Amino acid sequence: MNENLILSVENLDITFKTNAGNIHAIRGVDITLPKGKTVAIVGESGSGKSVTMKAVTGLLDSNAVINGGKIFYHYDEKTVDLLTLTKKELRRTINGQHIAMVFQDPMTSLNPTMTIGAQIMEGMLLHQNISESDARDKALELLNLVGIVDDEKRFKNYPHQLSGGMRQRVVIAVALANTPKILICDEPTTALDVTIQAGILSLISDLQARLGISVIYITHDLGVVAKVADFVNVMYAGKIIERGTVDEIFFDPRHPYTWGLLSAMPDLETDDDRLYSIPGSPPNLLHEPIGDAFAARNKFAMKIDEKAAPPMFKISETHFAATWLLHPDAPKVEMPEELRKRIERAKLGSRE
Amino acid sequence: MTPLLKVENLHQHFKISRNFTVKAVNGVSFEIYPGETYGLVGESGSGKTTIGRSIIRLYNPTDGKITFDGKTISGKLDDDTNKFLRKNMQMIFQDPMSSLNPRKKVGEIIGEGLDIHKLYTTAQEKNKIISEILKKVGLSPAHAERYPNQFSGGQRQRVGIARALVMQPKLIIADECISALDVSIQAQVVNLMKDIQDATNCAYLFIAHDLSMVKYISDKIGVLHLGYLVETGTTHEIFNNPIHPYTKSLLSAVPIPNPILEKKRKSLTYDVKNFNYAAGTMHHVGGSHFVLATDEDFKIWN
Repeated sequence: MNENLILSVENLDITFKTNAGNIHAIRGVDITLPKGKTVAIVGESGSGKSVTMKAVTGLLDSNAVINGGKIFYHYDEKTVDLLTLTKKELRRTINGQHIAMVFQDPMTSLNPTMTIGAQIMEGMLLHQNISESDARDKALELLNLVGIVDDEKRFKNYPHQLSGGMRQRVVIAVALANTPKILICDEPTTALDVTIQAGILSLISDLQARLGISVIYITHDLGVVAKVADFVNVMYAGKIIERGTVDEIFFDPRHPYTWGLLSAMPDLETDDDRLYSIPGSPPNLLHEPIGDAFAARNKFAMKIDEKAAPPMFKISETHFAATWLLHPDAPKVEMPEELRKRIERAKLGSRE
Repeated sequence: MTPLLKVENLHQHFKISRNFTVKAVNGVSFEIYPGETYGLVGESGSGKTTIGRSIIRLYNPTDGKITFDGKTISGKLDDDTNKFLRKNMQMIFQDPMSSLNPRKKVGEIIGEGLDIHKLYTTAQEKNKIISEILKKVGLSPAHAERYPNQFSGGQRQRVGIARALVMQPKLIIADECISALDVSIQAQVVNLMKDIQDATNCAYLFIAHDLSMVKYISDKIGVLHLGYLVETGTTHEIFNNPIHPYTKSLLSAVPIPNPILEKKRKSLTYDVKNFNYAAGTMHHVGGSHFVLATDEDFKIWN
């Protein structure tokens, strides 16, 4: 076991029971989070990225069934499997104090009937043995930390009196109230404007450097990933299909789905006015996909893709991809010409 | 060539109470030519959606003149102009979940405009029009019998586009029509809108906050901030030679999918307190490129 890991998800498998049938949402997911690093999980809606993180925090809906897997949390030289704890134990010992979450929509994740000061103090008073006035001082400190200047005045404000960006700062302050070791950010900037997004992202990295926390980002925006992540996991239909360091994923992608995702990103540098799009739509997991789930949208798909799901092929110590194209017997397939040119251009651009 | 849509000095104010008025749009002017796409960008609260709604007359403009295909559509609308406006200008809304009636079949949703304007003579003709439009947006004619909840987000937005297109409008106002969709689906919808424009020569007013997508679809761009149009020009002019500090900060905040570059980059901060938009006038930079500035500022920026 690697000593530097703080969280490791192993072979997680989750099914949702619905009226329409069983939805096999997570089909064997492995994720590792090294201490003090940032890991991004990228994928389309419905790929299972949020569900995986909800399993970590015990926030899964009641119709979810965990079929197998382990989620190890390593702290103070101890290791616990979070899946063996009950929801109550998780709530009392882990959530908030060790693992905190920042949700997507700052409009709905704050209580509209409580002042923001009271919401920041709430977690502290529950988990720590401190007096109300100490909690108040700490809350004001946190407001400063997340970049809210007139803290005394804002402390008494209600969420509706703040703008979207300010509200997301408050949500981050609430998450940091008990100095967690891991911060899980579920699309923290999707509901915000680009200018405000830039501010929130640099705030999170500043805090990370200052407090030494480890961060997991869930996002579908590869621009955000490029800015913040050390490691990237690309998820598709309930599986991780490629993982590597951020440079490996952006400069040496191997999975056709990652190629598609990278090509579909708008590029400010070209004069090309056509945007690449991945044909089709993600599979419905109500019906268990046979073989490679991406095969139907993959122009490089081979016969074996319809029969067996590809295992993770190793490319380097840190870089893995699940596609039969990497099998030694597979025909040699290069990434699309346009993407190759674009990566070359990006590499050149970064040297300047 | 005469512009299809001409907006001159548009003001849109909302009176909240006796002594409080929200001035959402202040003196905005721009033109859209037939077959052209004008991208309107700005942060939330900048008034971009309000402008779209004022043009299509979901709001009554407080002041200013809007001319559409030679007819004045600001001020009181007479019956003929109203009919003309409703047929020739259509809107695609942001949220494909809430902009389609969940109790109506897709065929009924698309056919509603045809019913109101009596654009067909027989039921078969109506069905034929609907099938053709569904094919055009990449759905199959059989989808007309389904309800909106049976579609994915991208497919629903295609229904929204079909509903706008079926009227064969001259101008489509697309209000953040891709921001609720996934990256890979966004690309599909943007490409579809471009194909449709090539085939039908309709014009778009494309409202968005994401500059990178706007670049792909727009011929011209207008940058809005706090209800003022701070800079406007062709896409090339805005991206290669941004003049206004707000435009520059907006461009610097767009994430680039390049980890090495992106980690080094600092986005520019912009403090609105240093500027007085109301005192500024439109200065000509060159070509169709204009920027809102006071005379002094304009000298410094150049």
